[in-house]
Formats: sequence, structure tokens, C-alpha cells
Amino acid sequence: MLQLLPQAIVDGLLIGGIYITVALGFSLAFGVMHIIDFAVGEWIMLGAFLGYYLTQWTGADALVFLPVVFVVFLGVGYAIQPIIHRAISGRRGNPVLMGLVFTFGLMLAIRGLGLTVFGFYSHSLSSILSAKSVFLEKGGLFLTVPVIRLTGFVYALVIMAALYWILKKTDFGLAVRALSQNREAAGLMGINARRISSWVYGIHVGVSAMTGVIIGCIFTISAQMGGDYTILAFFVVVLAGMGYLAGVPWAAFLLGLVQSFFLIFGNPSYTMLAVFVILYIILLISPKGLFAKGV
Amino acid sequence: MRRLAVAIGAVLLTAGLALSAGHRDYFKVGVITSLSGDLATGGNVTKRGYDLWAKTVNSQGGIEVHGKKYKVKLYYADAQSEPSQGASGAERLVTQEGVDFLLGPYSSGVTLAVAPVIEKYRVPMITGSAESPLIWRQKFRYTFGTIPPVNYTGATPINLLAGLNPAPRTAIILGSNDAFSKATAEAFKAASEEVGIRVLKYNIVPAGQDLIPLLSAAKVMRPDLIAFGGHDEELINLVKALRQINYTPKALLMHYGVTEPAFVEALGKDAEDVFGASVWTPTLHTRGTLLWKDAVTYARDAEAAYGVPADYTQAGCSAAGIAFQAALQKAGVTPPLDDGEREALLKALEELDIETFYGRIRFAREGEYYHANIGLDALTVQIQGGTPVIVGPAEFAEAPARYPMRPWNER
Amino acid sequence: MGRKTMVGVAGLGLAFAVLPLVSQDTFVLRVATEALMWIGLAISWDVLGGYTGYLNFGHGAFFGLGAYTTAILMMKAGWPFWASLPAGGLVAGLGAVVAGIPTLRLKGAYFAIATWAMSRAVQQLALVLEVTGGPDGMRLPPFLNPQFFFYLMLALVAVLFVTLWFLLERSSFGLKVKAIREDEEGAMALGLKPTVIKVQSFVLSATPAGILGGVYAYWITFIDPASVLGDLVTDQSVVMAVFGGLGTLVGPLIGAILVFAFKTVFWAYLADFQVLYLIILGVMIAGSVVFLPDGVVGLVFRTARGAKGAPPERPAEEPAGREAVG
Repeated sequence: MLQLLPQAIVDGLLIGGIYITVALGFSLAFGVMHIIDFAVGEWIMLGAFLGYYLTQWTGADALVFLPVVFVVFLGVGYAIQPIIHRAISGRRGNPVLMGLVFTFGLMLAIRGLGLTVFGFYSHSLSSILSAKSVFLEKGGLFLTVPVIRLTGFVYALVIMAALYWILKKTDFGLAVRALSQNREAAGLMGINARRISSWVYGIHVGVSAMTGVIIGCIFTISAQMGGDYTILAFFVVVLAGMGYLAGVPWAAFLLGLVQSFFLIFGNPSYTMLAVFVILYIILLISPKGLFAKGV
Repeated sequence: MRRLAVAIGAVLLTAGLALSAGHRDYFKVGVITSLSGDLATGGNVTKRGYDLWAKTVNSQGGIEVHGKKYKVKLYYADAQSEPSQGASGAERLVTQEGVDFLLGPYSSGVTLAVAPVIEKYRVPMITGSAESPLIWRQKFRYTFGTIPPVNYTGATPINLLAGLNPAPRTAIILGSNDAFSKATAEAFKAASEEVGIRVLKYNIVPAGQDLIPLLSAAKVMRPDLIAFGGHDEELINLVKALRQINYTPKALLMHYGVTEPAFVEALGKDAEDVFGASVWTPTLHTRGTLLWKDAVTYARDAEAAYGVPADYTQAGCSAAGIAFQAALQKAGVTPPLDDGEREALLKALEELDIETFYGRIRFAREGEYYHANIGLDALTVQIQGGTPVIVGPAEFAEAPARYPMRPWNER
Repeated sequence: MGRKTMVGVAGLGLAFAVLPLVSQDTFVLRVATEALMWIGLAISWDVLGGYTGYLNFGHGAFFGLGAYTTAILMMKAGWPFWASLPAGGLVAGLGAVVAGIPTLRLKGAYFAIATWAMSRAVQQLALVLEVTGGPDGMRLPPFLNPQFFFYLMLALVAVLFVTLWFLLERSSFGLKVKAIREDEEGAMALGLKPTVIKVQSFVLSATPAGILGGVYAYWITFIDPASVLGDLVTDQSVVMAVFGGLGTLVGPLIGAILVFAFKTVFWAYLADFQVLYLIILGVMIAGSVVFLPDGVVGLVFRTARGAKGAPPERPAEEPAGREAVG
């Protein structure tokens, strides 16, 4: 059985990579705007479908369209954010709950639109990378690495690096960090909270949409797919600590590894039970996320 | 004076209405299916099947009973993929709309909640879709199904594979953890053990679970056969996963799902050589007396109406309508149906034995398939050239099975 | 809750009570039974959500626990319904104690996600265990008596409403609970024991859900993990409570009736426009946050409830008028 250990680790890390990109934008949006975006799964779905239609229309490889999808949804997020903000600010009883309920309504509306426009059927995005794999067999070692998942992993690393650079090395990033730490003081420092928030939400939606394209290459897409990814984003981000970006990769890898280990070494029927129980227990032990650094 | 005239007119009108109340020249047919929620995809397929039947029978003037034709009018209730809403819909259709009979739900869960309600009101229902063995084991008197459960069809593809050369000797069998998929996997497992295929791994996995780690590990064992019970997306994901790890078993077997258009559309040439089970394909040699004379004619009509090829679920639903049609003719009852007439309809359904474009319809009167259609033959299909082709049993085979499966990279 | 409201609610109760005498229509009775169930679920969620300030995203798990307990006792142990039903409530209540003590230490979103994870774990458990029938679910002996279930549901929900009214609006427990919601630390300073109160509130929220689940199981005669342990019960309870007005009893009542009425009317008579349902519902929900911040109750009664009415300018809000300089 030990010969499968590297496989379990690799598979867990690779799927964890996808989880990272599902959760990163979501965590950023929460940290800066304190919105729990229930619609995150729908942004993924919309990005996936845009990628799908573009590939159907042009016959090109799906991954080629990643930048296009990003730009389009950056714009969408930028434009929508003020609406969300206006909806949940003001004298409300419970801004967290209100934001949640608002984005929940948004999610239902987008999903309904998706079903209307895209129909009920499942589709798949194709890329030449979907078919390639790397196979290592040495001595007792057996390792298969699907290239498209490796691509997803690399994509996650790139996004993380890009976000890191933006947040730590640019003025914009400085403003974002200031805003997430103390909104009022940031305003006093001359930061335009509204515009920064719009950009942040735009980045969140853009990244989520791109992730949709990758997901479509690895799995399938449908107008109803959003729900599962929203739940995933929630779990990863809470486990990481809400708004604590650095915790996201660890939480994502943990969830990926729990699954791969159960599928390979344990009883696969209990995979999701294990995931939820472990998530629950970790939260009980460390209430603000794995590193207790959550907001 | 004017008031008197109005009063008399009202009385006459009421009297006229009262006299005509017991008189309806069309059949009211209730349709319960899931038009929304998780099961919406399948639910809408059933709706198409029922709609197509209604449209076609009406275009011919209606159902003919004792020389007179009665059109059918469909009344829908959306179960929203929830058993409780299915039951609610059934109650409304029966008590408020006063439907004569019912066409049934897409899923087993909804059917199980609807069945007791119609048992109480004694309204016959035929479902074209629900495939879990659980329903028939409950022995509901008023519920019938034109499609047999998976434990009726599951053994057939395994038996066919066992007869190929070189026969598969080892197998990995997986199933998603829902009623239908689990029953499918169990059927595959039981059949494999019967024919001496060694089941190396048998796992029921959470629905929608990413299976790559499991398959990467399974690859080490080099199973000859991989069999999987699941629903549309899961089937596509499985093929993609096998592609991603670049493992081609000698045979890959799933169940009905491979015949759905989305399967081939999503996978392209990766769908080739995949085995499935079915009871009907658009090219099956069937002979029908009512509405459509064979499968090809039905498929043509369906494609013309909806732009999508018809699958077995849609066909089964249209067949459900035909079953009622034939039973009504036999029972000789006309709308509106009262309790006694519904009993006659029920009796006619139980005694039904007809050939249709869908195949033979004959409902079992006892045993574990009670009231399911045992007139059909289980078929093994294989995707060849982008469509499901019947490869067995021998009397129905349209082409030889392609075996072993061609490696992904060599297509 | 003012006098007029009390009269209104009593009138509503009376209207429900005479319904079966006025209408012989079994469908109407079924719809009314379900409406009552949702009123009960929305109100019970609000006990922990609106009154105590803890957003429980696992409310449906208690519904499912009650449903399965009742089903298992009736089918596997041969118990009669009258014994199985309270047992279902008991199990749900115990579950709330067991889950509540550790989980209620969490706050806000963490509590919400933890309860969500817990409810998903319960669903997975029901899917893998043999005693629950796994994905096949369980069938209960059919007892299709619409009047019985209607009156049972009415009685349960009426008792629930009155009990909660006493506990939350007329006793010190309600004050303690609201104190926790407004300022937990301050409450501790006053000598209150937040953990005890929160757990009590959790139990008060979960037990009715369990009992309603038990009734559901016997009423619908079929349960499975998807229908009684899925997200629908939780999601719908939350939407009804928020839409109606948090932190009140009348709010979730009104919210439940309105949302359920919309759903029923739509699916009974507008099924042709099915694709619009989600869109309309989504817009309604999102719109209610914008236009009805205190729910329908807030709109109707115009008096913001308790301290929710006029909080000081919150730090998380945009400082007014401070735009970018340069």
C-alpha cells in the first residue's frame, strides 16, 4: 500500500490547487468588503460557460481564453460591486447576514438565468492538455499525474503569486490591505474605499470565472454547478480563517488530501463524511480558522 | 320584466351546465414530474415524452373508444425534485383538477411519495422513468412503470462481456451513493460474480465525488473491466478521469446514461467503445400499432419536435401514454372516469400485452418486478461512431462489439 | 408584540382551526398543513437566529434527525407514532446540546459554517448507515388522513408559538437571550452565563424542528437523505425568517406564509414559466434586503424592533462624505 502514498499526496495537492482558486477571491472579497459572496459558485459557472461558448465558436483550446474570461468578468464584478454595497450598507441589523441573504438572492437569480439561457444539459470544455498525463514507474513507485490537473495547480500558484505581488508590492495592494484592516482610518488616509472595493470584487469575480474554465476542462459544467463550488469556497475560507489569504492554500490542501487519502487508503464511502467531520472538529478546536488568524 | 328574463336565463343556464357537468369529451391527464430542482434535466426529458404522446394522439383526433375519439389534455404539477411536492401535486391533480389518470415522475424518491396518495384515491399512474427496484417491491396496486428496474437489465451487459474474447477476468465496480446508481452497481457486481469475473474493488462513493485518486490507485491493479453506476455528469467525469490518467481498461461499462446525447456531445471521440445498457434505442426493430409504427419513426418525430435525439426515458414516457391509450380502448371507458371505470382501466392495464414502437409492454402481476414492464428485452449497447449501437443479445445486435477498448491516444 | 398583533395572530389561528370545516378540499388542507410546518420551522430558526444572534445553517439537520428517529422507531422497533414523535424531538434536542456546547463558542460566519458542516456530516451519515436505509431512504406505513395531520401540525405550531411568546417576550429568558445577542461580553459582566443560555436557546430552536420532522415523515410516508437532510429546509427557513423580520415571532410567521404562498401558487398555476421561478425568487430575496431591511414586519409595523432600530454609525460602513482626495 505504501507504494500509493506518493499518488495520494500528489492527487490531494492537485485537487487542492483547484480549491485554492475557488476560495482565494472569495476570501479577499470578505476581507476587504466583509461580504460573504454566496454567488461565488455562479461566477464560476458563468466563466465556465463563456469559455465553453468561445471554444465552440472558434474551435480553439479552452485555456487560450483564460485572459479573455478574466477581463470580461473583472468588468462584471467591478460594475456589480456598488450595487451590492448599496444594498447592504446603511442601518441594518446584521450586515453579515444581510450581505449573505442578498448574495443568496443574487445566486438564485443568476442560476435561474443560467438555466434559462444555457439549458439543463452538462457540457465539457476541451483542451489538448486534458488528454495528457505523466506516468512514473520506478521500483515500487507508481505515479500518474494528469497534466490538466497539474495545469490547474500551476494556475493556482500563478494566481497566488500575482495576488501576493499586487497586495505587497503595489500601492493598490497597500490600499486594499489598509482597507481590510481599518476602513475608517483608510478613508482618513485618502483611500477611495468605493473604487478599491469595486476593483477587489472585480478581481474576485474575474479569478472565479477563470477557475470555471479550468474546472470545465477537468470536470463538467452545467447551469446548476454553482452550488457545490460555493460550499467548497465557504469551507476552505472558514477553515483558513476568514479574510486570511495565507491560510487558504493550507486549508485547500488539507481538504484535498483528506479526500485522496480516504479514496485510496480508507473506505471511499466515508470520504465526504470524513471531510465534514474533520472540518467541524478543526473549527471547534481552533475557532478562527487553522491559524486562528481569521477575522 | 327584465329581471325576470335574467332570472329565467340564469336558471336555464345553470340547468344546462348541471346537465352537461357529467359530460366531458376529452381525457384529463395529470403529469407529475420534476421541472425544477436537482432533477430538472431528467424531469424535462419526461415532459417531452409525455408532451409528444399527447400532441401525436391529438393530431390523430384523440384516443378512440367505441368508435368515438377523445382528445387528451395534460395538466402539470412540478414536483420540484422533492417527494413532498410530488405528493402535493398528486393531491391537487386528483382532487382539484379531477384528472382521469396520471403520468408519473422522473425519480424514484418522488414516485415513492406519490404512490400512497394515488393508492388512496385509486387513480392509476404509469411512470416512464423511475428505475429503482424499491418502487416495485412495495407492490403499489395503482402504480405501473414502462421501464424495468436496473436489476432487470444489469446482468445483460456483463453476460455479453463474459462471452467476448479474451473475456475480462478482473473488474472494478463503482457506484454513486444514490438509489439508482447503487442498485446498478449491485446488479453489475452480482452478475460479475455469477460469470466468474473477479471483483477486485467494489465501492459506493459519495455522489459527484472526484474519483481520480481512486482510479489512479485502481490503475495499478490493471482491471480488465471498469463498471460504474451513476448519473449523467458523473459518467462524463469518469471517462474524463480515465483519460486524464491515461488508463484504458479492456471494457468500460456504465448503464443507461451513455445513451443520453450529452454524454457523446461532451466527450467526443472519448465516448467511443463505452458499453451501456438500455431497453430501447432509436434503431431498435420494434413494431407498434398505435401512433408510431417503429422506433425509427418515433425518433424522427422526436427530433423534428425538439431538435434533440430521443433517449430511452423520453421513449418510455411516450410509451406510458400509449399504454393508457390501449388500456382505455380495451376497457371501453370514456371521460370523465368514475371510480368503477378507473378500476376497469386498472384491470385493463394489468392484462395489457401490446407491441409498441418502444417494444412490448406487459406489466408483471407478481414478484419483485410487480407492475414494472417485463415485456422488454435488456440490451447491451456500445457507442460506435457517436451513437449507441446495439451489440447484444445476438438477436438484436446491429454490429459486433468493439473489444477490447481502443487506447485513448490511438483514436 | 402589541395587542393588535396578538389579536391578529389569534384570529389567524382561529381561521386555520375552522378551515377543515369550511373546505372539504384535501389539497387545500395539504397546502395549509405544509404552510404550518414552515411557520414552525421559520419561527424555531429565528429563536437562535434572530433572538440570540447565532446563524444556524444546520437547522435542517434537526428536522432530519427528528424525521429519521421517528421513522426508525416506527419501522425497526415497532413503536407507535405517539411515542416515536416525542422521541424524535428528544433526539433533536439532545443533538443540540451535544453539538451546541462546543459549537456555540464560535461566532458569526464560523458558527454558520460549522453548523453547515455538521449538518452535511449528518446527511452523509444517513447515506452510509444501514439502519437509515442509506440512499434508498425509508418508507413509513401510509396513514393518509389529511384532517389528522392538519390538526396535529396546527396544534404543534400553536403550542410552539405560545410557548415561545411566553419564553421570549414575556419572561426573563427572552431578555437574557437578547442581551447575549446585543453584547455577549457585557452580558457576562452582568453575571449571565452565556453558554448556558445559548445552549438553551439552541435546544429551544432544534427540538421543534425535530418534532416537525417526525410529523413530516409520517405524513409524507417517505424520507431520504436528500429530502430531509438537504439544504432546502435550512435555506427556506432562513429566507422566510429574514424576509418576514428577524427577532420577532410574527416576522417568520408572515414570512413563511408569504414565501410559501408564492411558491405554491407559482408551481400550481404558473408551471409553464418555470424558468422564471428562480429568477423571481432571487430578485425578491435580494430586493427584500434592500427595501425591507427589517423584513415585512418592519414595513408593516414601522417600529424597528429593539436595538436593531438605530445603531450608531458602524465602523464597517463607509464614512460619510469622505471621498478620495487626489
